[in-house]
Amino acid sequence: MFYISLLLFLTLLTAALFLTPLRWKMWVAFAATSLLAISAAIPAIGALWGGVEMEIMQISSPFFGSEALFIDPLSALFVLVIGIAGVATMLYSRGYLAHYLNEKSSVHISLHYTALVVLVASMMLVVISSGGFSFLFAWELMTIASFLLILFDAQRQQVLRAALAYLIMMHIGFVLLVAGFASIYAMSGSGNFADLAICFSCGKTLPIFILFLLGFGMKAGLFPMHVWLPEAHPAAPSHVSAIMSGVMIKTGVYGILRTLWYVADKQELHVVGLIILAAGIITGLWGVILAAVQNDAKRLLAYSSIENIGVIFIGVGISALAHATGNNAVATVAMCGALLHTVNHSFFKSLLFFGAGNLYSQMHTTLLDRFGGVAKHMPMTAILFFIATIAICALPPLNGFIGEFLIYLGMLDSIREGVNTIYAAGGLLALALIGGIVVLAFTKLYSTIFLGSPRDHHVAESSEVDNLRIAAMAIPTTCIILIGLLPQFAINIVEGVAEQFYPNATSVLEGYITPNLWKISLTVWMLIIIIALLYIFKHRAQKSRSVTQGPTWGCGFTATNIRMQYTGESFSEGLESIATNLTQNTIEGRAVGKSEIFPSTHGYNIKHKDKIDRLFAAWWMELLHIINKRIMRLRTGKINHYILFALLFLVVIFILSLFNLI
Amino acid sequence: MAIVLNTLLIVLTAIAIPGIINRTRAVLAGRKGVPFVQHLRNVNVLLRKGAVYSTTTTALFKIAPAIYLGAAIVAALMIPVADLYPLISFKGDVICFAYTLALARVIIIMAAMDTGSSFEGMGAAREALYGALIEPALMIGFATLALFCGYTSFADIFEYEQSFDLHLTIVMLLTAFLFVKITFVESGRVPVDDPRTHLELTMIHEVMCLDYSGIDMGMIHIAGWLKTACFSMIAANAVAATGCFHWWFATPLAILLTGLSVGIVESTQARNKLSRNTTFIVTISALAALIFFIGYLLKLNINI
Repeated sequence: MFYISLLLFLTLLTAALFLTPLRWKMWVAFAATSLLAISAAIPAIGALWGGVEMEIMQISSPFFGSEALFIDPLSALFVLVIGIAGVATMLYSRGYLAHYLNEKSSVHISLHYTALVVLVASMMLVVISSGGFSFLFAWELMTIASFLLILFDAQRQQVLRAALAYLIMMHIGFVLLVAGFASIYAMSGSGNFADLAICFSCGKTLPIFILFLLGFGMKAGLFPMHVWLPEAHPAAPSHVSAIMSGVMIKTGVYGILRTLWYVADKQELHVVGLIILAAGIITGLWGVILAAVQNDAKRLLAYSSIENIGVIFIGVGISALAHATGNNAVATVAMCGALLHTVNHSFFKSLLFFGAGNLYSQMHTTLLDRFGGVAKHMPMTAILFFIATIAICALPPLNGFIGEFLIYLGMLDSIREGVNTIYAAGGLLALALIGGIVVLAFTKLYSTIFLGSPRDHHVAESSEVDNLRIAAMAIPTTCIILIGLLPQFAINIVEGVAEQFYPNATSVLEGYITPNLWKISLTVWMLIIIIALLYIFKHRAQKSRSVTQGPTWGCGFTATNIRMQYTGESFSEGLESIATNLTQNTIEGRAVGKSEIFPSTHGYNIKHKDKIDRLFAAWWMELLHIINKRIMRLRTGKINHYILFALLFLVVIFILSLFNLI
Repeated sequence: MAIVLNTLLIVLTAIAIPGIINRTRAVLAGRKGVPFVQHLRNVNVLLRKGAVYSTTTTALFKIAPAIYLGAAIVAALMIPVADLYPLISFKGDVICFAYTLALARVIIIMAAMDTGSSFEGMGAAREALYGALIEPALMIGFATLALFCGYTSFADIFEYEQSFDLHLTIVMLLTAFLFVKITFVESGRVPVDDPRTHLELTMIHEVMCLDYSGIDMGMIHIAGWLKTACFSMIAANAVAATGCFHWWFATPLAILLTGLSVGIVESTQARNKLSRNTTFIVTISALAALIFFIGYLLKLNINI
C-alpha cells in the first residue's frame, strides 16, 4: 500500500512537473513542497508540543517484516527543519535558475525540480520511518535525488567527478546500513530501530553501533568520511548545497541519535559516548582548520558544515557520557545544546549558501580573491550574509551562541561536578579552539568578499538579486534572529526531544535551562540597546562636527592600489604555517622572489587540499580501476553476448540448486 | 547597592590601569612622564573631534566602534569585584563573557578589513589568529575555576568562602598568573603587541584602528581599557579568593597587578618577533591545560 502510494506520488509529481510550462515549474514544485511541509508539520507540531506519538501508517515490507511510519518528537524536530529549509530552497531556486532557463532544456529543468521535491519528500520519509526496508528505501531515494541535483551542471568535468565520488561514498555507507539492519533482523526478526534494544541487550552493542555510526557518519560527514562534502558542495547549484548542507547531512545525525537512544547499558553507553565525543572533536577540528585555509567560498562553507557536525557530536557525546554516569542535568543540557545547534546550523548554513549563490549568479565565481567590496553593490545580500556570519561564529546576540552556550554549559557543569572531568575538559578545549578558528575562517570569508575594494571588474558590474531570493533568505534569517533574541521560548522546540531521551528532562529545563536563558535573553537585549544608544550618541554628536571623507590612510605611502589589500590567502597565512601538516598544497605558477627588485608578471595559485583525499588516490583505488577495466570487457554491447550471460547465469543457478547450495 | 559599587569599581579599575602603566614606565625610565590622567584627557579630546572616513568603507565601519564598545561594556558588567555582585550574572556567564568579547574582536577585524588597507589587513589577520589561539586558554582557565569552586558563574566562583586551604591557594594563584598572561595578549601589550611602536608593519591592535578618528577612536580606547580591567579583575579576584579578601583588597590589586606588571615588562623587555607570538600564545594555552590538570589532581587529593 505504502509503496504503491509512493509510486503514485512520484508519477503524479513527475507528470505535473514535466507538463507545466517552463516558467511555472518552480511554482508547481513550490506548491508540492509547501503541501508536503504543511501536512507533515501538523502532526510534527502535535508530537513536539503535545507529546503525542503518532503512527501514520503500517507498512508491510518485502524484507524486514512489518514497519510503520510514525512521528515522535525526535522525528518531528527534523521534519520541521526539513520543511522550513525545503520551502526556502524552492523559493530561492527560481531566481538562481532564471538564467539557466534559456541554456538548459525544459526536460533538464523538470528533472531538477522533480529531484528537488523528491529529496525533500525522501528526507521526511527517512525521519518518520521506523526503520528496516522503508527506511533504506527512503535513504536510497534521498541519495539518488541529491545525486541528480549535484549533476545539474554536468558538462563541467569536476561536477561529474564530484557527483560520482558522492554516489560511490553514499553507497559504501548504504551497504554498511544494510548490514546494520540485516543484523538487527537476524537477531530480533524485524528490522525496526526499536528492535535495536533487543540487539543491544544481548551484548553486541559496540559492533552494531559502530556499523551504524559509520553508515550514518558517511552522510553526516564524520572524519574521515567527509571527503565528499567539499567536493560535492562547490559542484552543486547553491540552493542544492543549501539544502544538502543545511538539512540532508543532518539525517546522518538523526540516524545516530536514533541508534544511540537504544543503548541502555550504562557501561556500554559510556564507551559509545566516548567514541562519539572523540569523533566530534576530530571532525570539528579537522573541519574548521581546513575551512580556514580554503580559498573558495563554497568549499569553505562545506568544511564549516563538517566542523558544525563535529560540534553537534561533541554535544551528543558529552550528553551520552553524562547519562552513563547518571548525571541527568548535564545530559539534558548538552543534549538540548546539540539538538538546538542542529536546528540552528540548518538555518545559518542554508542562508550562507544562498548568499554564496547570489554571488555566484552575479559574478560566476566563488573564488574568494575575485571579490572585494561587494557590500556596496549587493547591500541586502551583504546584510543577510553578515547576520549568518555572526550566527555561525556563535556570537551573541544570534542563535548560534545559544546552541554552543548550552554545549559549553554541559561541559562546564560536568567539570564542576567532577564527573568525566578529563573528557569534558578535552571537549571544552576542542570547542574553544574550534570557536576561535571559526572566527578566523568567517571573518576571512566575509571580509574578502564583501569588504574592502573590488579585486575584479565583475564586482563593479554586479547588482542586487531579485526580491524573491531575498524573501527566501529572509525565512532562515527570521528564525536565526528569533532563536537568538528569545532563546527561552525557542528552547521549547527541543524540549520534547530531550524528554524523549531523558525522562525527567522537563524538570531540568524548567528549573535550570529556561531561567538561565531568560537571563541570556536579557543580556542580549541589553547588548543591543547599549550598542544602539552608543551609535545614536555618536551619530548625534557628529552632526555638529566636521565629518569628511578621504582615501584610506596608506601609512605615508601614496601609491597604494587595490591589489595590495589583504587577500583571503594572506589572511589565513598564519594559521597555514601552523597547520601545514594537515593540508597538501598544490602550487601553480611561481611566487615573486625576494631578489626580484622589479618583478615581472607572475601567476600564482595555491590550493589547499585535504590530506585525507590522498587515501582515495591510493593503491587500492588503482587496483579497483584495474579490476573494473577487466570486468568492463564483459560489456561488449552485443545483445547475443548478453543473452549468453543470462543463460550462463541460469545454468550456474541450476547447478548450484542441484547440489542444494542455494 | 553592591551592584552599583561593583560597577563603579570596575570603571575605576579601567580608568586607573592605563595611568599606572604610564607612571610605572616613566619612573622606571627615569623620565618625568605624562600625568596620571593624561589618557583621560586624550580620550576627552578625541570625543569632541570630528571624523574622517575612508571612501572605501561601508556602513559596517561606522557602526563597528559602537558594537566594539557595547560588547566590552556588557562583558565588564559580568565581572564581580571579589565577593560583590555584578549586574549580569547567571550560570555559565563565563561563556557569555568570552563570546561577548569575541563579538568585539570579530567586529573590529571586519572594520579593519573594510578599509581595504594592506596594513590593516595585516593587523586583522594577526588579531584573528592570536584570538583563535588564546580562546582555549581562556576557556580552560574558566574550567579550572569551575572545577575548583564548583560554580560556573563569576559571582558564585568568587563568592566562594572558605577558610585557608592550601590546594585552593595553589590553584588560585596559578590561575591568577594565567589570567595576567591572558591580559597581556588580550589587551595587546608587550611582549605580544606594542601599542607604542611607530612602525605599522609590526603593530597588531593599533594598526587595525588606523582609519578611525574622533569619537570612534575614543570608543575603541575606552573599550580597550574595559577589556583590560575585566581580565585583571579576574586575576585579582582569583588571588582574593585564596583568603576571602573583599573588594577593598581586589580593586587595588587588580589595578596594581596589571599596571605594574605591564609597566615593568614594557620597560625591561622587547616585544617578540611576530613569528614568535604564535609560540608564545600556544604556550599560554598549554600552561592553562597544565594548570587545569594540576587542579584536577589536587581536587582528587592526589599528592604531587
